[in-house]
Amino acid sequence: MVVAVDHEASGLSSSEYERKLAEFEARINRGEKIEPADWMPETYRKQLIRLIHVHANSEICGALPEGKWIPRAPTFKRKLALLAKVQDEVGHAQLLYRATETLGPTREQLVEDLISGRSKFSNVFHYPAETWADVAIIAWLIDGAAIVNQVMMSEGSYGPYARALKRICYEEAFHLKHGYEMCCVLARGTKVQRAMLQDALDRWWAPIMMFHGPSDKVSTHTELLVRWRIKLKTNDEQRQQFLRQFVPKMHDLKLKVPDPSLRFDKKSQQWLYDDPDWEEFKRVVCGGGPVTAERLEARRLAHVDGLWVREAMVAAAQNRPIPMPSPN
Amino acid sequence: MTDTQWPVYEVFHQQARGEPHMHVGSIHAPDADMALILGKEQYCRRQACVNIWVVPHEAIHATAYENDDIFIRGTDKSYRESWGYQTPKTVRATDGGTADDG
Amino acid sequence: MDKIETLDALTGATREAVVHLLYRMADDELIIGHRNSEWTGHAPILEADIAFSSMAQDEMGHAQAYYEILHALGERDPDTLAFGRKPREYRCASLVCLPKGDWGFSLIRQFLYDAAEQVRLTALAESSLVPLAQLTTKLRGEEKYHMMHGRTWVLRLGNATTESHAKMQAALDRAYPHALGLFEPTEFDETLAQAGVCTREEELQKQWESAVAPVLDDAGLEVPDSARPVFGGRVGKHPPELAELLNQMQMVYSIDPAAKW
Repeated sequence: MVVAVDHEASGLSSSEYERKLAEFEARINRGEKIEPADWMPETYRKQLIRLIHVHANSEICGALPEGKWIPRAPTFKRKLALLAKVQDEVGHAQLLYRATETLGPTREQLVEDLISGRSKFSNVFHYPAETWADVAIIAWLIDGAAIVNQVMMSEGSYGPYARALKRICYEEAFHLKHGYEMCCVLARGTKVQRAMLQDALDRWWAPIMMFHGPSDKVSTHTELLVRWRIKLKTNDEQRQQFLRQFVPKMHDLKLKVPDPSLRFDKKSQQWLYDDPDWEEFKRVVCGGGPVTAERLEARRLAHVDGLWVREAMVAAAQNRPIPMPSPN
Repeated sequence: MTDTQWPVYEVFHQQARGEPHMHVGSIHAPDADMALILGKEQYCRRQACVNIWVVPHEAIHATAYENDDIFIRGTDKSYRESWGYQTPKTVRATDGGTADDG
Repeated sequence: MDKIETLDALTGATREAVVHLLYRMADDELIIGHRNSEWTGHAPILEADIAFSSMAQDEMGHAQAYYEILHALGERDPDTLAFGRKPREYRCASLVCLPKGDWGFSLIRQFLYDAAEQVRLTALAESSLVPLAQLTTKLRGEEKYHMMHGRTWVLRLGNATTESHAKMQAALDRAYPHALGLFEPTEFDETLAQAGVCTREEELQKQWESAVAPVLDDAGLEVPDSARPVFGGRVGKHPPELAELLNQMQMVYSIDPAAKW
């Protein structure tokens, strides 16, 4: 079906299309990357645009819940680290929008698609960060879950996305350490601090369990994505990896994971858990999350309030070349 | 909404004097000087850097990937490599000028 | 002028004057860094967001370094100084307390502020107080970048469109009187000058004016004629925005100041 649609869109003869598709798939099977100027099936292009765009949106929307806490961070170290981390999220959005642009759409279109609600962002950023402990949980567990996904995706078939992800993974390593350190400090801190941390985990657990997307039982179109190495592991495989990596550490910190069914099954070597509410997931990513509107409004304001600045800089560049002044 | 898309500049950084400039990525910037200012913080806020170049994206001319077979060497070109030559460990030339192959 | 090689060698009135100077510098850096950090995630374009965030980090880093010296001089530790004081105990100028406003205001403020910082750091690089001279010398590379950033933006936005010109002029009109407040004379100026620690505020202001005037002129912006300096910050009298800012800044810290965070 995909092939037929792509074939029509490609304007190629049937045999020519088959030949190009075979070449394309052979390249991917050899483990080579696809570069922007290469021929690619329309479905590959569209799926990648959708995927990288959502990833970019998630980075910039992910800057918001934590960004709110920059002014409230309680020590120099935390304030600087959080500021640097949120700056990284903005930087990652920049890298990912650039990667998306190599497939056709402009940054401006991508940003407008986000603020008009035409494109999505990760479920976790539709929820509010209510206390300082949320900042710790987000940096540790959400960045942890994101790293599982991003390390995998950095081995994917599209060159610009893989390159951006290599850089992103390198930078995210500090986010994870920063988050884990904060959780350790709170977990070993005062009664109030421990309660804050547990409360944050209680609220974030379900969204985190949904982070890697619907269960393989219901997830659609994974097969094609896997074949073209847009995706290298299923949602459930990623979730298992996350649980393997993080649940023992949560137990070490004496945190109570709010899922009575959560246990490691020796026989299947899998973590067993209660399925999160996938209806809620669907509702949230389609724009019905507790703070979806607030997030989009923040992005819209930045874009609209910045309009005069972007316009003026274009005008300045067109009017005359202005030499950069010497710093002294 | 008005299109306020800034042009794209490719960014190259040099980690130390004597090292080559390497491509690190690209940014949107209104002009070359702003590209230097903005590129520095997007690409050089962690790793060592002594210099950056920015180049308008359109200024890059590239070969086509479909022609990447031009880079495949059709015949044995080992004569271009040091490993393409065999020399004896010790050389003792005789009066006649023949080398000892030991 | 005799060099003061170590902090321990500081005594009497000079020591008291140095402490006051460091509080002024540190508090200015902390509060402007805090204000600029409010742009992270909200700037007009991602690339500009990143650069401005780095500058906010630089300023907070400078604040921390000055508080460290204060701590070495017997004041409380840097976190307590930054997060544990009442508004009237801060010595920052009103310029840094004002809300971030629009991008034009934040840029103009940062430009005026950086020019003042550069003038001061240049003076302090020659300071008789060796540890301070050494520290400020290290900070000058970051400040040089800030100046490049500020001038490049201001020159463009001042001249670009009717709208951008109007916004930048309005920002300058609002910021300039507060920027003059960075040079509010204090009872310690004479002592600091006599000891060769720091140039008099009056003199720094003149240097600052001659540094900013040509750039503003090139940007097509007019320095407001009758700008009356807004003073008070150096003696702990602040606009109400500082108390609001500190309320936010100290919100988590004050849950339990004795706790580790």
